Amino acid sequence: MRLHVLLFATYREIVDAKEVAWTVDAGTTVGRFLDAFVAAHPRLARHRGSMMVAVNLAVADPETVLHEDDEVALLPPVSGGCA
Amino acid sequence: MIEITRRRIDANAVLESVRRDDAGAVVLFLGTVRADAAVAALDYEVYVPMAKQVLADLAERAKAKFGVLDLSIVHRIGRVPLGGDSVAVACASAHRREAFEACAWVMDEVKRIVPIWKSIPPKRARRSR
Repeated sequence: MRLHVLLFATYREIVDAKEVAWTVDAGTTVGRFLDAFVAAHPRLARHRGSMMVAVNLAVADPETVLHEDDEVALLPPVSGGCA
Repeated sequence: MIEITRRRIDANAVLESVRRDDAGAVVLFLGTVRADAAVAALDYEVYVPMAKQVLADLAERAKAKFGVLDLSIVHRIGRVPLGGDSVAVACASAHRREAFEACAWVMDEVKRIVPIWKSIPPKRARRSR
């Protein structure tokens, strides 16, 4: 099934894309998806510990099950606001 | 008012958005781009739909937590120059204590959970004359 993967900040630079289409098997979890995605983009590996994942605008944990056409955003530690 | 904008923040508009007759206190906080040797501006990148949702939820939680009457949050994105306002939080309440506390709490949460990232653009090299 198809996922729409969005990347931000540092991750955008690493993958050299704002958005990537990705295919996974039905029933795949966020954790399993990340395993495969990071394997395909090894420079993301050192960021995995601080990475947040949002599925359809909601923060998701590794056990969250993904569905067809889900929007999966990989979010680095945020830094909004002022100093 | 919950807004993410590329335009300069209209601080007065943010203030007026919360002003009301039953408020005895209105507090406005502005986060600005501070002078630094390496910084001429800051670039803000955002996951817009999620940021709007998180900001709206944050405003509702602040109202419930502090009992304030109204609360607005505006965050600017794109390039913000030195001295420019990057974020505005305005809060109206019956009394001043909760307005100050709500603003401070909201700013802490904005920095903790809203999907916005800032970076420092490279300074332009000075042209030799």
